[in-house]
Amino acid sequence: MLSKKVIFTFSPQNVEKPVTYQLIKDYGLWVNILQAKFEPSLGGKLVLELKGEDEQIKEGLNFVRQIGVRIELLEQEVIWDEKKCIDCGACISICPTGVLSLDKETFKLKFDYEKCIVCGNCVEACPLQAIKVTF
Amino acid sequence: MTIQRTYEEINTKIRSGKAVIVTAEEIIPIVKEKGIEKATEEIDVVTTGTFGPMCSSGTIINFGHSDPPIRMQKVWLNDVEAYAGLAAVDVYLGATQLSESQGMEYGGAHVIEDLISGKKIKLKAISQGTDCYPRREIESYITKESINQAVLFNPRNGYQNYNVAVNTSDRKIYTYMGILLPNIGNANYCTSSQLSPLLNDPEFITIGIGTRIFLGGAQGYIAWEGTQFYPQMLKGEEGKAIYKGGTLAVVGDLKKMSTDYIRAATFKGYGVTLVVGIGIPIPILNSKIMKNAAVKDEDIWTEIIDYSFPHLIKPSLGRVNYKQLREGNITIRGKNVPTSPLSSYAKAREIAQRLKEEILRGKFLLQEPIQKFPKENKFKSLLEIH
Repeated sequence: MLSKKVIFTFSPQNVEKPVTYQLIKDYGLWVNILQAKFEPSLGGKLVLELKGEDEQIKEGLNFVRQIGVRIELLEQEVIWDEKKCIDCGACISICPTGVLSLDKETFKLKFDYEKCIVCGNCVEACPLQAIKVTF
Repeated sequence: MTIQRTYEEINTKIRSGKAVIVTAEEIIPIVKEKGIEKATEEIDVVTTGTFGPMCSSGTIINFGHSDPPIRMQKVWLNDVEAYAGLAAVDVYLGATQLSESQGMEYGGAHVIEDLISGKKIKLKAISQGTDCYPRREIESYITKESINQAVLFNPRNGYQNYNVAVNTSDRKIYTYMGILLPNIGNANYCTSSQLSPLLNDPEFITIGIGTRIFLGGAQGYIAWEGTQFYPQMLKGEEGKAIYKGGTLAVVGDLKKMSTDYIRAATFKGYGVTLVVGIGIPIPILNSKIMKNAAVKDEDIWTEIIDYSFPHLIKPSLGRVNYKQLREGNITIRGKNVPTSPLSSYAKAREIAQRLKEEILRGKFLLQEPIQKFPKENKFKSLLEIH
């Protein structure tokens, strides 16, 4: 079993397609909706956690791509600027899923993208504006 | 025999490359292994460091005179107002002053950071004009090279210790201690604890007016006691004494500083502040100073304060030490609460290391205070008199 966090970007042309339903029914994927933001007739974004066999995920994502939905990995939309970061840790306690922590040896910030649900709490907590979410 | 050293003896050793220097973190296992007396014998200097938001900061600037000259009465740097109620071309730019066009996204601290990094800063000044200073308006650009002086002068920095901030209300609040989640959802603290300068010499035996310090990447000095200086120990619960209110007024040449050790920051919903890097060397003159400098996180206590209470005196939810805080979780009212530091421990460590290296290379000598701080001070509130 593989697990992948992806962001789907819908256009006005494909915003009404029942993508989640088809991923579950036709491709047998385990789908967890982490966030969804839609504007009727304008498009929208969907943050999903997908679980399944490697082949199933590949085929499912191919189908999504074919109907014109843009796919990005979650890491591509959460940008942590390590050069700006001063490793203070102001972002740690505000994160609901424990993505951020200080390394026990170096006390530098660690960012565990696997746990991220793109809530954006760290973006507003960072005093150096070193974290950006394009979602 | 108990060891006694003088500043001059230490400086002689530094000049001849024989001084033994460790950081406030490195000294802990040494004292544990060898004991205080032996450590005092072997170590000459312990270096400390801190890198945290320090709002009471700013810079004095002298622009030089234009032709025809102007007596600047109101001044803006990148749209941030600087206080011009001084002589013709002197201003004081405060770190927390907000931009008149960008609000909380840019402020005095950002101007300071931009100035240090060599960027061009837009200057605008107005005046009513006088016989000796006829000009009424000027717009130009300045850089740190074009101006006469840029002197960082921070009236209150290096807070000895600080509260842990929590929020017992049912809504998220935005404070200078960061974002506090409702129902004690998180706890924020802000010191470099066992590395912090004023916690390693809590009685101000070696730190006073004239002490040479590491300030923002350059050498600076302690100019005075910091505002709101309160050196007394807070007693209370047995074995959980708190040193809380020591502060420093510091001064140094902004032109020589580096943005590696001085940065602008914005706390959402609160405002702009300056993150200042300070390192202070502690000369080990005797075993008492050594004992103080070997302090560890578990011996440093602080108070958990409810920041949702909108009055000056806020309720305390108990005491906690920095070992507990730095583990990442503490227990408050039976609840497991995640913690966040706002002060960078990694940077504090880097500053203490860097200061150690500068002393080892003979580039930084220790300066005995010209005058000690008062042993006691009153902490007054503002009374409203009608």
